[in-house]
Formats: sequence, C-alpha cells, structure tokens
Amino acid sequence: MESDAEEETAATPAAAAAAGRLKGSPELTVDADMREMAKTAAWSVSSCKAGNGVAALRDDNLDTYWQSDGAQPHLVNIQFQKKVQLQLVVLYVDFKLDESYTPSKISIRAGDGFHNLKEIKTVELAKPVGWVHIPLSGADPRETFIHTFMLQIAVLSNHLNGRDTHVRQIKIYGPRPNPVSHQPFHFTSREFITYSTIR
Amino acid sequence: MSPGHGAAQPLAAATPGQERHAIQTPWLCLHTHSFRRSSPQSKSHDAPRKPRKRACWIQTTPALRPPPAAPPHLALAAAAGRRWMETLMVDRVHSCLRLFMHRNAVFLCERLCAQFPSETNVQLLATCYLHNDQPYAAYHILKGKKLPVSRYLFATSCFRMNLLREAEETLCPVNEPNVEISSGATGHYLLGVIYRCTGRISTAAEQFTLALTLDPLLWAAYEELCILGVAEDPDECFSESIALRLQQEHASTSTLNSATSNVAQFDTPSPTAAQTSGIMPPPLFRNAHAYQNTMSGEAPTKQKANGANQPLRRKYLDEARLKKVSGRLFNQSSDSMPRRSARLSRDTTMNSNSNTSQFGGNGTDHSSGSRYKVIDEMWTDNISVTSSSVSSVDGRFFEQDKADEFCHKTLKWQLVLGSYWDFCEHLGKVLGFLACLSARYDLGCLAIDGNPLPSDITKLISLVNVQEALEVYRKLPEPQFNTGWVLCQVGKAYFELVDYLEADHYFELAHRLSPCTLDGMDIYSTVLYHLNEEMRLSYLAQDLISIDRLSPQAWCAVGNCFALRKDHETALKNFQRSVQLDSRFAYAHTLCGHEYSALEDYENSIKFYRCALQIDERHYNAWYGLGVVYLRQEKFEFAEHHFRRAFQINPRSSVLMCYLGMALHSLKRNEEALEMMEKAITAVKKNPLPKYQKALILLDLQKHPEALDELERLKEIAPHESSLYALMGKIYKQLNILDKAVFCFGIALVLKPPAADLAIIKSAMEKVHLPDELMEDDL
Repeated sequence: MESDAEEETAATPAAAAAAGRLKGSPELTVDADMREMAKTAAWSVSSCKAGNGVAALRDDNLDTYWQSDGAQPHLVNIQFQKKVQLQLVVLYVDFKLDESYTPSKISIRAGDGFHNLKEIKTVELAKPVGWVHIPLSGADPRETFIHTFMLQIAVLSNHLNGRDTHVRQIKIYGPRPNPVSHQPFHFTSREFITYSTIR
Repeated sequence: MSPGHGAAQPLAAATPGQERHAIQTPWLCLHTHSFRRSSPQSKSHDAPRKPRKRACWIQTTPALRPPPAAPPHLALAAAAGRRWMETLMVDRVHSCLRLFMHRNAVFLCERLCAQFPSETNVQLLATCYLHNDQPYAAYHILKGKKLPVSRYLFATSCFRMNLLREAEETLCPVNEPNVEISSGATGHYLLGVIYRCTGRISTAAEQFTLALTLDPLLWAAYEELCILGVAEDPDECFSESIALRLQQEHASTSTLNSATSNVAQFDTPSPTAAQTSGIMPPPLFRNAHAYQNTMSGEAPTKQKANGANQPLRRKYLDEARLKKVSGRLFNQSSDSMPRRSARLSRDTTMNSNSNTSQFGGNGTDHSSGSRYKVIDEMWTDNISVTSSSVSSVDGRFFEQDKADEFCHKTLKWQLVLGSYWDFCEHLGKVLGFLACLSARYDLGCLAIDGNPLPSDITKLISLVNVQEALEVYRKLPEPQFNTGWVLCQVGKAYFELVDYLEADHYFELAHRLSPCTLDGMDIYSTVLYHLNEEMRLSYLAQDLISIDRLSPQAWCAVGNCFALRKDHETALKNFQRSVQLDSRFAYAHTLCGHEYSALEDYENSIKFYRCALQIDERHYNAWYGLGVVYLRQEKFEFAEHHFRRAFQINPRSSVLMCYLGMALHSLKRNEEALEMMEKAITAVKKNPLPKYQKALILLDLQKHPEALDELERLKEIAPHESSLYALMGKIYKQLNILDKAVFCFGIALVLKPPAADLAIIKSAMEKVHLPDELMEDDL
C-alpha cells in the first residue's frame, strides 16, 4: 500500500459521518495495483489567482494551492493523450486552513472533450482535512474503470458559501499496465512472473 | 669540495685522501645493499676479477668524469656524493610508495626532481602523483616527454582524466607509425581499452590479442576479449607452448638486462623482485663465476642479439591496473640459462633500489606460484639504447660490479628458497587453472557470437555449452572453486540460463565467502528480484551500501529493491546514481531503461538502452529491453530484430526465445513462432511461459484442442495461475462448452487476479451465453 505521511491528523467528528459525506484521511492509501495516470495529461483550470495557478495542483507540495478567481462552478480539466482507464480521484483539501475556501460539493464529469462531458459522480464533503478519495467505479465489478479521454472536476459549492476555492493537490489513479505486453491477462503466480521478463 | 657541487651532501669528502673513509658512514647501513668501497684503480675492466662488493655510487662515477681542469679526486667525490644523495632519495620515495605514504612520497620526489632533474626522476614523480590520485599533475609534468615509460605514464594519466584521444596519440603517435608501444603487453592493453571506449571494436580486439600473446597472464586482456565476444580458444592462449616460448624470451632478456644499468633506474620495488632473486638453484653460483670470466667477450654480442627481443618484454607496474604474474617467472623454469635468470634477479635487486630486507622477508612467502606483481623492465629500453656503449669502459665496469653483487646475493638466496623445480610445477598449475577459468569464462561470456546457425545446431551448442561450462568449473581444484570470483561466475552462468534458484545458491555462497567482492552483486540483486525475495534483497542492498557506498553495484541493488515494490521513480533515481558513479557500467544504463519503460516513458528508455549498447554491444539485456519497447509500441519488425539479436548473443535463455516467438507471432509468422516456442519449452522445462504463449498462438490459429492440451499440462506446473484458467475459459467459450467455460472463469476469479482482470473475467462470465462478437471489446 502506497502511503504518504501527513502533518495534519484526521479529526473525525462523528456528526459529519452522516449522509455519506466524505471526510479526508491523513494518509493517501492506494492499492498496489493502481498507479498515477495524469503525469502526461494536460491540466487546465477555469480561473486562477496569480501565483496560485494550476501548477500548484501537481507539485506534490501540500502548502501550495490553487485558488480560483471567478464564478462557480470552478473547473479543473484533465485531458489525456489517449483513452485511459481511470479508477480513483484523490483530492487534498484542508478545512482548518482554508475554511470558506474548502469545496463542499464536487462533481466529476467524463467524456471525449468539452462538448460531451457527462457527470459520472457527485460527492459532498463535510469539513474535510486531508486526502479525499473519490472512487469512480460503479457497483458492478464490470464497471470498475472509466474509459475516457477527458475528466473534469467541478467544484459546485464551498463551505460557508465561499465564492472561490482552494484545492491543494489532485491525483488520478488507474490500473497498472501488464508488464508483459500483448497478453490477454495479467500473471499472478510466482512461476509465471519469474519467467515473464528479463531484467 | 669543488665549488660546482655546492649542494652536495655533507658526506662528500673535503680532501682526496679522506674520500674513501667518508664514504663509510652510518647512513650507508640504512641501505641494506651491501656496499663496500673500492679503489679508483679498479676501473680497469679487462682483468677478470674476484667477486667483491663495491659502493654503489662509485660505479657510476666513471660516467661523470669531471673536466680535466678540476682535481680528479675532488670532482669524483663531489659527484659521488651527489649521486649518492639521489640514490638515497629515490630509495626513500620507493619505500614511501610501497608503504602507502603517498603524500610523503610526493614531497620527497618533488625535492628530488628539483635537485636532479632527469626524465627518470620525473617519471618517478608522475608515479607518485598517480598513486596519490592526482592524474592531472602527472599529466602536467609528463607532457611532451618522449621516453617509452614516460609515454605510458602520460597515457595512463590521460586515460584517468578521460582524455582518450591524447592517450591514444601518446601510445600510438600518428606521425610515427612504427614506434613500438611502450611497456609491452600493458601498453597494448591500455591502447585496447581506449579503442574499446571509443568504439573501435576490431582494433581493440587486435590490441588485446597482442597483449595476451605478449603476456599470457594478462587476464584483463582476456576478459576484455570475452566481453567483446571474440575470445580465442583458451587452450591456445594458455598452452604449454606459450609458456616455453616466454621462458626462452625471458632467458634472452635477462642477459641484456644485466648488461648495463643505471643507478637512477626507475623501478618500483615489488615482492616479485624478491621472488625471482630468491629462486636460484645452487648451480647458479658456480655459473656466475664462469660468466664473469667470459663477460668481456660475451656480453656485447649477447646484448646485441637479444636486443630485438627486448622491446616486447617491457612491462610496467601500474598500481591500479595490474596484479599480474610477471612474465619473467616463466624464465625461471628455463634450465638452459640459469645464469641469465640469476642475473635477472640480481639486477632487479640492484636496480630496484629497494630495501633488500624485503627480499629476505618475502622470498619465502612467494614460493607458491601465486600471483605476483610485475617487475619493471623499463631499463631494457636504456639497454637497447646503450647497447652500443656496452663495449665502453663504463658498461663493463658496471657489469663487473654487478657480478660481484650477484654472487653475494646468490649465496643468500639459495638458502632462502627451496627448489627451482617446485616453481616449475607451480607455474604449470598457474597456467592450468588459468586455462580452466578462461575456458569457462569465455563460455560464460557467451562467446558464441553473431552467426545465425541452424536451429538444431544452435540448440545443441547452447545446451552443450551450458553443461560444458559448468563441468569445466567443477573441474577446478576445491580452493579455487570456493573463491568469490569463481562462484560469481557460476552464479552468472545459471542466471543466463534463467535458472534463478541455482544462481541464488551460488551467489549467496560467493557473497558469504568474500563479502567484499562487489563485482557480481548487481546480477545477484536481479536474481533476488526475479525470485521476489524482498527481505533478502533489501538486506543485500543495505549490506552492499555499508561495504562501499560509492560502488555502482550497491546502488543497482538498492534500485532493484524499490523496483520490486513497484516504486519505479525511486528505483530510477537509484539507478541514475549508479550511472553517475560509473558511466561505463552498462548494466546500470539498462536498468534505468527498464524503469523508464515501466513508467511508460519510452523515449528515455530507448535512449538509455542505446547508451548501454554503446558501452557494451553484447549486453543482451539492453537488446531485450529495446525489443520490449518496440513490442509495446507495436513496431513488430523492430521488436523481432532486437529480440533476435539478443537471442544470438545468449542462445540459452528460454525467456528470450519466448519473446522472440511472441514477436514472430505478432508479425503473423506463426510457424516460426511455434518453432521458437518448442525450442524454449525443451530448453527449460520449468519455464511455464513458452507453453502459455504456445497456447495463445494455437488459439490464434484456431487450433483449440491443442491449445487446451497445452494449458491442461501447464496446470500441473502452475496451479495457481489465474490467467491460465481465464484463457481456458475463453477457449471453452469459443468451443461453446459453456459450463466448463463458466467453471474456469470461476476458478480464475478465485485466484485473485488484479482489478483489471477481475472486471474482464466477471463480464466474460456474465456474457458467456452471448456470441463472441459482442465480447470483442473485453477479451
């Protein structure tokens, strides 16, 4: 399990656990068979304040943040070079530091481009502190992944009715490719894996 | 003292009469050369003389004959005193170098050079700088010097500073095409390394072969030939005939060597000097007398006759590169020229300017035929240069003195060491195990190069080689087998055979026996990676880092650790560190390439694979890596070409055969693909992958029953492989045996495939009743 140690500890008031609202967790916990997908994607935002631009979302630094500067909804657009399978979106937000800038309702849309984005997931956050994991799979195991060219993360509203939003980091996860190319299935047993590559 | 010698030593006598007494001072006792003075009248060279000891510096004073105006005795004394000081300093520098007091040596040597500027002293200073890890200083002082030893030292410094062109220019000047390479075999070796680094493989191979013919015990040259893939038959390289030939060459060498000599000869002291002087059978003593008697007549002719042989026999002690047996050792077993060997050893004792105390101590240690340090023979150069002056008074005079010295020594040494015959035997053994090692090594280095042989022969050869190679290793005597190097080689052999368990066993043994051998440890870490031994791999990595933090192999091991945990970015960082530490370490480049490939950064991975290939064209892992990248990018012809190259270099690896088959399958050349898979299957029974791939190909060819057959057989080898059952399910679905299909899919699900496969298999299960076309997307 991949994990990042965070400075803030998760404070989980029991009241916020209602209604499936997400609280952040202090650690980024991702399955070993998933990997970060958006390194080669094109990131853009609907608006930003000078000095707090889109680069802050990808710099692995939780002290820098993106601050929007326009009307809601605030959008983060991620365009991939080819159709990819995605499984998980993780955001780092901090209510304690950002208060009214903290997003409270987030909608995730996917599609081929700006013209045919369709909403696939909506989540509500309740005073989150830390990493918020948003799985993209449906209930059906056949729908574990989203195949898409583009993903859009829309911040529909903020806590305490704030206008602009702060997001500190975003990561997108998908499945690892098969280390042996052109195989219909992954290898799971030791005997196969040992002989599957030369190093 | 004459005014001209103002800087002379306090020992120079003030008056002629006191000259002789002044010489005998306590300082002389430090030099355990047994010096005794002699009268100036002893300059007459014609009369045969009784063996007598004489003062070292007096021997050369005839050469420094003062101008007639000055009183002869004074000038003589002053010159003698100066010469004496020079000798003292040279001796001190040598002893400092020997005792690893490099800074002291540098300081003394700088004073020496300032006082007595001569090219040999400059060479000594350069050596001190090289010992002290300052090749730039050596470069600076040696620039433009022309003597062969200077040229060799200069080339070494250039090489260390990565100035390859200058090094090559020095060793082999363009405008002097017939100049012979300085320092004989090692000069050729250095030139060969330079050629290899600059990509001229065939000329490099020539140079290495030449070096090897000149000195069969120059293992590094043989190693390089193996890496280049053009190693000769080891029996030829290390045969008895070569030993005999070298013995004869050395026999003739020694006479020439003894003829003239310079006190200021630069000769790094070494235990071998002791060794060669030590091994002297009793008859030598008698012969020495006889030799002296005939000296006047014989010496010049001998020298001239042997002059031609001399240039080849020059060697030079390079502390970083060589720990090789001196070719001269072969000389010892030559029965016909005992006097020459005696002279040889005596000369080295004389000319090494080292403390003879070391001879006594070391003589007994080195009688066992183990490896020795190379003796400097650079003064053979001076010999050929001065051979014309042999007939001069000086030369003869000198020889006479040495004869005296020699006889005294012989007495000592014949007592110190035992028999001459022991040595012959040991020499034979040395050659024997070298032949054995090299036979295995060249097979290990996959010396079968490039030519595409028909498949059955290839198979035979590849199988034969494996067994043969390992047999050869097993034939080694027990103590040799249980050394780190040999065990590492055995481990590498198994690694190339893709037999990781055996490789693991041998590498572990090797690491336990010699924990400081880091050479094969990068391969060991890869073996552990393949075996998925996370704990042991991390332990090994930590161990290696603690042994030597600056070795590239240690960082490769650390990188492999991270790669095993799928943390490719950290692994990449570590491999890049490894590359930084040694940019000529091909495997580090290849591993970087693998990591980039795992991160899907194909451009960079191709770049690194190509780097690795530039360094070592026969690094089959890099060829394989390139093949995989092209396979992923669907450039199937390129992939096939690269896999084939890798396969040609290592025809024994079943994984390579498998991948070549996969590439052929992608190119739709299914018959060849099947053939290749068959070969892979027969090569290594344990490898399940070729069978699986064969089933895939058969499925593609619509031969469902055979495919199912293969998979059924495979079930026994790898019962917990989910992909196996998933594939079987797919085949049953196509054959429309639906209940079995569902059953297989179920088992596949139970065996915990990763999430991607889970989705596919589940959807396949649910759509099992639908015709195949609708399932195209998923499967």
